[in-house]
Amino acid sequence: MSKKKWQIREEIFRLFHSIGRASLLCDLQDSHSGNMAMRWRNESGEELIVITSTGSQKGDLEPNHLCYLSPNETDFGYYKASSETDIHVGILSLPGVKASMHAHCKEVVMATLDDQPSPKSLPPFMPIDPLAFYHLGAEIPVDWFAVPSGSPEMAKTIPARLAEHPVTIIYGHGAMSRGRSLKEAFFYLSLVNNAGYIVRLLERQKINLNELRPKIKAKPESCFHFKPAPYNLEIDGRCDFPEEEEILKEFRKAGNRIFESRLSPFHTGSISVRGVDYLLYAPQASMPYEVGGPLLKLPLTASEDEDDRELELHRKIYAESNFQTIMHCYVPEAEAHAHYIYSGENQPISRIIPVDAEGGFMYLSIPVVGPEVKDEQLIRLLHDYKLVVIRGGGIWAVGSLSVSEVLHHPSSLREICLYRLAAIERGLDLRKMEPEKAKKW
Amino acid sequence: MGISGYQGKILEINLSTGAIKVEPLDPQDAILYLGGRGLGTKLLYDRIDPSTDPLGEGNVIVIATSPLVGSKAPTSARGHMVYKSPLTGYIGTSNSGGAWAHTLKATGYDALIIRGQAAEPVFIDLSPEKVEILSATNLWGKTTHETTDILTAESSPGNFYRALAIGPAGENLVRYAAVANDKNRVYGRCGPGAVFGSKKLKAIRVRGQEKITIADEAGYRSGLDQALYLMKQAPITKRLMRELGTAGLLLLINLISMLPHRNFLDVEHDENKLEKVSGEYLARNYLEKAGSCYLCPIGCQRHTRVKIPDGSEKKGEGPEYETIVMTGPVCDIYDPEAIIRANYLANELGLDTISFGGTVACAMELFEKGYLTPDKTSGLEVKFGSSGLLEKLVELTAYRQGLGDLLAEGSYRLAQACSHPEVAMQVKKLEIPGYDPRASYAQALGYMTSPTGACHLRGGYAVSLAFFGGTREIPRFSLLQSPIAIRNMQNTGILQDSLGICRFTGFAFSVEPWARIASGITGQDFSTIRLEEIANRIAALERLFNLEAGLNPEEEDLLPARFSEIAIMAEGQPRLITRDNMLQMRRDYYKSRGWNEEGRLSQPLLGQMKIEKKMEPES
Repeated sequence: MSKKKWQIREEIFRLFHSIGRASLLCDLQDSHSGNMAMRWRNESGEELIVITSTGSQKGDLEPNHLCYLSPNETDFGYYKASSETDIHVGILSLPGVKASMHAHCKEVVMATLDDQPSPKSLPPFMPIDPLAFYHLGAEIPVDWFAVPSGSPEMAKTIPARLAEHPVTIIYGHGAMSRGRSLKEAFFYLSLVNNAGYIVRLLERQKINLNELRPKIKAKPESCFHFKPAPYNLEIDGRCDFPEEEEILKEFRKAGNRIFESRLSPFHTGSISVRGVDYLLYAPQASMPYEVGGPLLKLPLTASEDEDDRELELHRKIYAESNFQTIMHCYVPEAEAHAHYIYSGENQPISRIIPVDAEGGFMYLSIPVVGPEVKDEQLIRLLHDYKLVVIRGGGIWAVGSLSVSEVLHHPSSLREICLYRLAAIERGLDLRKMEPEKAKKW
Repeated sequence: MGISGYQGKILEINLSTGAIKVEPLDPQDAILYLGGRGLGTKLLYDRIDPSTDPLGEGNVIVIATSPLVGSKAPTSARGHMVYKSPLTGYIGTSNSGGAWAHTLKATGYDALIIRGQAAEPVFIDLSPEKVEILSATNLWGKTTHETTDILTAESSPGNFYRALAIGPAGENLVRYAAVANDKNRVYGRCGPGAVFGSKKLKAIRVRGQEKITIADEAGYRSGLDQALYLMKQAPITKRLMRELGTAGLLLLINLISMLPHRNFLDVEHDENKLEKVSGEYLARNYLEKAGSCYLCPIGCQRHTRVKIPDGSEKKGEGPEYETIVMTGPVCDIYDPEAIIRANYLANELGLDTISFGGTVACAMELFEKGYLTPDKTSGLEVKFGSSGLLEKLVELTAYRQGLGDLLAEGSYRLAQACSHPEVAMQVKKLEIPGYDPRASYAQALGYMTSPTGACHLRGGYAVSLAFFGGTREIPRFSLLQSPIAIRNMQNTGILQDSLGICRFTGFAFSVEPWARIASGITGQDFSTIRLEEIANRIAALERLFNLEAGLNPEEEDLLPARFSEIAIMAEGQPRLITRDNMLQMRRDYYKSRGWNEEGRLSQPLLGQMKIEKKMEPES
C-alpha cells in the first residue's frame, strides 16, 4: 500500500473547488450530491487518482475533501472517498480519459423518467439541440440499475458506456461523464442537463418530439445551423491580452453572467470585441469566475483554412458591419421556444414578441429564423434587430459599443421566453397578449 | 415625382449678385447623404473651394433639413448649418433646435444655400410665395433678441414668422460668433455668426405651411410609436432633462473626475462651491419653467430669471451645462448669477459660450503666468475666479473692444499672440468643451478626430456613455476599445444630425426606430445597414473637405501636450494620455475608417463610398 495522500495540492484543490462550485451554481447538484475524479501524476511521478470524499459539499469543498488514491491498490483513503469510487476508477482506466464526473443533472433525469415496471429497459435519450447532438451524440444511453448508487453493477456498466459515449444517464439518479480534463467532463454533464431541460420545455409547449427527433436523426445538418467546434483543451487557461485590464474584466463579468444565468451551458457560446485589425475572442463564453476560459487575440481576417464556423461568423459579421461586440449563446428557453407552433398553424414561429414590460421596451419583436439562414440574411437581421434566434443554432447578438450591451440581449431574451412559456403552460393565448404594433415590426 | 419626405427643392441665393436660384434636389444626394449634416456637407462640398478664406466671398453657408423635418417624429425640428469655419479653417457644422428649421422646410425647400457677400447689411425674407433680399441697415448693431422681435412682429395666429439672426458678435466677425434662431436656440460652434457677418447677412426670416408627403404611413407610425414609447421610459428623456436640464450633469461629471477646472489644469473642485452652479441649485433658485423645442417631449430648456445690479430681475434662458462649466469652473468661477447674466448677454450678442469660456480661461492662465500683460488687457486683472469680469468680457469680445479684440480671435490665436500656444486648450483651434479628456480615452480620441475640432457632439459623445451608457458603457481607459467605440458614436451623431433629431434621444434608444421612421416617410431603404453606410460616407466627405482645406493630421489630430504632461486623479489613479497613447488610438481610428496611416483617404475608398465632387457654378 502506498503512503496516505492527505496533503493539500493547491492547484488541484482550486480546480476541484471551482468545478464543484460551478456545478452547484448551475443546479446540477444538490448540496452534497455528485463526485469528481481525475488522474494525476504527483511530483515524484507517481500516478494517483484524486477524488472527492463521500458526503462532501461540492459547492464548498475543503482541502481535506480530496482524496489521493492509488489506482491499483485500496488504502484507507479509499473508504473516505466517494461511494462511487469504483465506477470512477473504471472510467479513469479508459484510454485517453483523465477525469470523470457525476452529477444529478435533474433536468435530464426528469426528461427520462418512465412509468414502465422495473426492471426497466429504457430507450436512449435523444437531444434536439445542436450542442448535445454534436458533442454527446444522437442517442445517449439511459440505464436502469436495481441499486442505482455505487453498485458493482454500475461499476461494470458505466465505464463500458463511457467507452462509447462522453456521457451516460443513470435512470432516476443523474449522469456520469468522462473527459480529457475535469473541465471537459463537467462540460458534458452541463450539456446533457441542458438537453434534458430543452426537451422538457418542448414537452411543456406540446411540441411533437416524435416528429422532431426522426428528422434530426435523419438529417441533422438541415436541422442545425452548424456543428460546434470540438471542446478544445489546448487553449485552456490562455489569455492573450492580460494588459487590457478593463476589457478582461468585461469579458469575465459577461462570461460569468452567461454561466450563472444559464444563458448557455458551461464553456459554450462565444463573445468577441472587435479591434481594428484583430478581435478579442472568448470561444468558451459561458465561464464562471473561478473556472474562467480562454481569452484570445486573433486576426480580424481569417486564414483560408479556418474550420471554426462560429469564429468565422464573428469575423464575417464584423467584415460587413460597424459593430464592436458580438455574442453567440445557446439560451435554452429560446432554443426550445423557437420550435413553438401557434394553434391552427403548421410552421414554427418566425418572431418572438415580448409580452412583458422590460422585453417590450427592449424589442418589439425578435426574429426567429431556420437553421438554413444564409450569413448575409443573418447579418442584415442583426443590423435591424440586434438579436436573432436561430432555430437549432442558438442566438446571435451584436452591440455597437460594449460587451455589457451585447450581454443584455440573451439575458433579456431568456426572460422574454420564460414569460411566453409560462403563458403557454397556463393555457393563455399568446397572440392576444402580443402588442399589435409588434406584429408588423 | 420626388422622394417623399423631401420638398424636392433647393434654394440658392447669391448675396454678391442678388441672384436667386431654385434647383431640384438631386435624389441621389438625398439617398446618399440623407439630410441635415450629410446633405449640407454634400451641397457645400459641391460649391466651395475648401481653401477659400472663410470670411471671404467664396465661403458658402448651407442650412439643410432632413426628411423627418415636417413629420411628427419627436425632436425632429432641427436644422443643420454647414460652412467653412473662420475659427478652425476647416469644416464648420452646427445644429440647432427650436422651430426655425421646421418653418424653413415649410417654405417648400429642403435646404438653403447662401453664397457671395452683400455690399450692405441684408436679411433674407423667405416664404413659399416669395424670396427677397432686403436691407438690414436698420437691424445692424441690434442684438439677436431685438432683431428677432422686429422680424417676427407681424406674426399672427396660423401665420408665424420665425427668425434666425446674428448679434453684434457676428457683425464684428468674432471667430466664434453664433447664429441664434427663435432667440435662444443657437447654431453655436465653429463661428457661423462670423460667416453671416462677413456676408453682411443679419438674419433669415421664414414663414410657410408647406407639408411633406409620407410614403408608408404604417411603417412611419410604427417607428414613431416606438420612439415615443421608449422616450417615456428612459429616465433622462422622461425626467432628468426637464427637471434639471443639461446642468443636471454637472455633479455627476464631477463624480467621475471629468469636470475640468482652471483651464484644464486639474479636475479638483471645492464641492461646496460647485454645488452653487449645479443643476439642482439652479433649478431651486433660478428656474421659472422648463421649455421644449418644437416637437420635443424632453424639455431641457431652462427659462430662468436672475437679479441684475440695479436690483430688478431679468428673464432669459439657460445656462446649460457647457456654459456653466466653461464660464464657471474652467475659469475657477462658481458664482451662478454671474454665469447666468453672462449667458444671457452672450445669447443676445451672439457668442458661442463654449469657445468664449475656453478663451477666457486661456486668457486667465496667460495673465496669471505673466504671458498676457496688462497693456494688452486694458488694465483688467484677468485672473482665475474673476466672476465680476464675466459680463464685461462678453461685451468687450462681441464688440472687439480692448482685450475683447484678442479674445474674439479664440484661444489658439490669443495664446499664439502671447507666444505661448501650449496654454490654449483646443484641437484644430476649437476650444475643448466641459469634459476632461484624461478621464475617458474615448472622449479624448473623439476630440482628436472630430471633423470640427474639439467638439463633444461631433467627436462622439463618449462621456454620455461614461455615466449614462447603461448597457452601452464602455471601459474608460481602454486603448483597444476606444477607436471603434468612438467611430461608432461619431456615426450615431452624424445620423442624428442628418436625420434632424436631438442627441438626447440617444439616451432612450439608438438608431432602429429612426430607421423605421425615415424609411416610412421616404419609402426609401434607410434601414440601419444603409444608415451605417451613409454615416461612413458623411464622415469621409467631412474628412476630405478638411484635407483639401489644408488639414495637417500629424499635428492637428492631437490633444494639447498638457494632457500628456499633467495627470489628474480618476478612479483612484493618476491619469494621463501619453503621446504614444494618442498615436496608437489615432492610428487604429484611421484604420477603422479605412484611411491610411497619415489619416488620408484613397481614391478607391472614395470610389467605393460613391464620393465625387460635382462643382456647381455660382449663379
